[in-house]
Amino acid sequence: MQLSQAQRELTVKIVYYGPGLSGKTTNLQMIHRRLQPSARGRLLTVETRDDRTLFFDLLPVFFNATSGYRVKVKLFTVPGQIIHNATRRVVLQGADAVAFIADSQRSAADSNNAYWKNLQDDMLENGLRVDEVPVVIQFNKRDLPDTKSDDEIEDTRQRGKEPVVGAVAIRCEGVLETLHSVLQLAYRQLDTRSQLSKYISLDETTFLGQIFSRIDLRGTKLEGDERFGAASTSSQPTEESK
Amino acid sequence: MSGSSVNEAGRTESVLQRRTLLSDLLDGPSFAELVKQFVDLYKIGVKVFDESGSKLADFRVGNGDFCSYVFSFNDGRTRCTATVARLKAGPLQALDHERSSPEAIADGTIAVPCFTGLRYLVMPVHWEADLLGRIIFGPFRPDDLAQLPDLLRDMGQGVDLSKAEELISKVRRAPEGTVARVMVHFAQVLATLIAAGQKTYLTSQLHIEATLETNRELEEQNRKLEALNARLKELDRLKSSFLATVSHELRTPLTSIMGYSEMLSQGLGGPLNDEQSEYVQTILDKSETLLKLIASILDISQIEAGKVRLTFEPVEIASVIRSSLSSVAPQAQKKNILLQLSVPERQTRATADREKLRQAVVNLLANAVKFTPEGGRVSVSLTETAFQPELEAEGYRICVEDTGVGIAPEHHRHIFQSFYQVDSSSTREFGGAGLGLAIVKSFVEGHGGLVWVESELGRGSCFIAVLPTIPPAPRSVQISPPAKAPADKNRF
Repeated sequence: MQLSQAQRELTVKIVYYGPGLSGKTTNLQMIHRRLQPSARGRLLTVETRDDRTLFFDLLPVFFNATSGYRVKVKLFTVPGQIIHNATRRVVLQGADAVAFIADSQRSAADSNNAYWKNLQDDMLENGLRVDEVPVVIQFNKRDLPDTKSDDEIEDTRQRGKEPVVGAVAIRCEGVLETLHSVLQLAYRQLDTRSQLSKYISLDETTFLGQIFSRIDLRGTKLEGDERFGAASTSSQPTEESK
Repeated sequence: MSGSSVNEAGRTESVLQRRTLLSDLLDGPSFAELVKQFVDLYKIGVKVFDESGSKLADFRVGNGDFCSYVFSFNDGRTRCTATVARLKAGPLQALDHERSSPEAIADGTIAVPCFTGLRYLVMPVHWEADLLGRIIFGPFRPDDLAQLPDLLRDMGQGVDLSKAEELISKVRRAPEGTVARVMVHFAQVLATLIAAGQKTYLTSQLHIEATLETNRELEEQNRKLEALNARLKELDRLKSSFLATVSHELRTPLTSIMGYSEMLSQGLGGPLNDEQSEYVQTILDKSETLLKLIASILDISQIEAGKVRLTFEPVEIASVIRSSLSSVAPQAQKKNILLQLSVPERQTRATADREKLRQAVVNLLANAVKFTPEGGRVSVSLTETAFQPELEAEGYRICVEDTGVGIAPEHHRHIFQSFYQVDSSSTREFGGAGLGLAIVKSFVEGHGGLVWVESELGRGSCFIAVLPTIPPAPRSVQISPPAKAPADKNRF
């Protein structure tokens, strides 16, 4: 988190981490599509010729808080390929919360575990304390054959404190729920540490409300949530382009 | 470039964490060229400043003479300076005497009047909710300007209004709406440049950071490897020292065992019957084997510790070989192995360490006898001195050939390593500690020579040692020193 009193600006950094081809970029593309253009910047992606993330993806989301503070939430993805370990570590620097995108397919269990370990190592290397940076786990690709059962995913949830969200990112299922969960945890952690509600009059409902009231929440579990006002259920036209 | 700071982990903060400046995202010269083309095309001045007030582009057209004229009056200079300061660093909201430009045309743009009646438009440059700088268009002569304002008349004595009017007429006259539309177009072009620039800037910076991170990781691993290597070397030294001590401590009591056994066999402790004599002889034989093994271990540990030095003298090589052959004759006789010797008619004279060379040949012969079945044949041959291509020098060859079990090719590289056994199973047929050939290699190489094996499994082996007639200066004998690149000298 970067809080600039002089510029009256709060920047929150969320990193989407996980094995290659687990759907990190797809998550950002879906969020980009569902967000009103006035609340976000362009989706910056740097890909190789075969559509693999080379450095990172970046989607900035922003709003002006009533206190006069400008709030920017920067959503990053890391490159998933093994060889980009150093880049992953650099992108993870200063993260306020992490969405760990796991692949639900049984065959991906080993690589999920390896990247989970990689995440812990990278956090340590970056001076981030594992118990202070909240993580949300998304089990993506729930629609594919031979994936973990709901009971097995429940087992994973029981084994740790991280919230677990099932998803089919290409259909935007679970994507906004993951974003909501990771932003909520990030806010709570930052509020505990820096008392955002006291010093910049930004409470959790406002923080989440300012973002999710600008997102098309139709078809998600967040649809109709009172906190996010009418915009969440209205058919807000959004830009379909990348 | 953005300033970098150090984060909690003691690393330089990533470009992803830093605030990006407009100058980071644009290529200065090509951007200036673009602005100039705009100015030439629309005949209106354009200035671009970044958020800190640094100028990225500044092109004027038409107003130079008029502004210089105004600037030549004290009052004019003061007012002009104040206007420029306001444009460059003043707020991006309209002040009392200013107003916002029509929203429908250029949202967020303000119109700033100059006291001369000319006008400027100022537009903020936003990118992803960040304010990066401002664009200033002007001055232009608004089409709604009827006459020169009073302020200009009041500038001071000597103001020539007709000259002022003549000069101001060279300034582009345009409706504010038109200027605003051109400005919006310019801002759109700038936004495209920023989008491309941001991608290039962030990725190139991140690429550098990732490379540095990889480098840091590699250096850390190198440090760990170096520490491990130093530890291994220390362990190796300790092993050699341990072997030397243990061998010495084993040899002392063994000497007593052998001494008393010999006294027994010679009847000094009283007469022995045949069976007792046989037992004592077995004790002596086995003690002899053990003593040789201990001697080998001691040799190898001395060699590894770099404590063995060769002493060269003129030597008649055939005599060394004959003497070696006689020392393995008893074992060969026991196994009914035929020993053959082939030496040239002319004497082979060379400089060598007689004792070490003898031990090398004995080891080769003992090996040959050990691995050759009963009734087999072991032959040793010596050549005359001649040019040896392997050494690129004059030298001689000693070949020890046997009709034994042979050695599979995959073992050829390893058999000269100390403690290496072709058959390392617990049920192996042939005894030994795997030191004989390591000692041979060390001694031959100590002479500046080479040794290798030519063998096929089941078809016997031939060990060939090539030695120079005049070896290089004596030095410590080593166990296969690893190949080292020549030291890199500083050239500059």
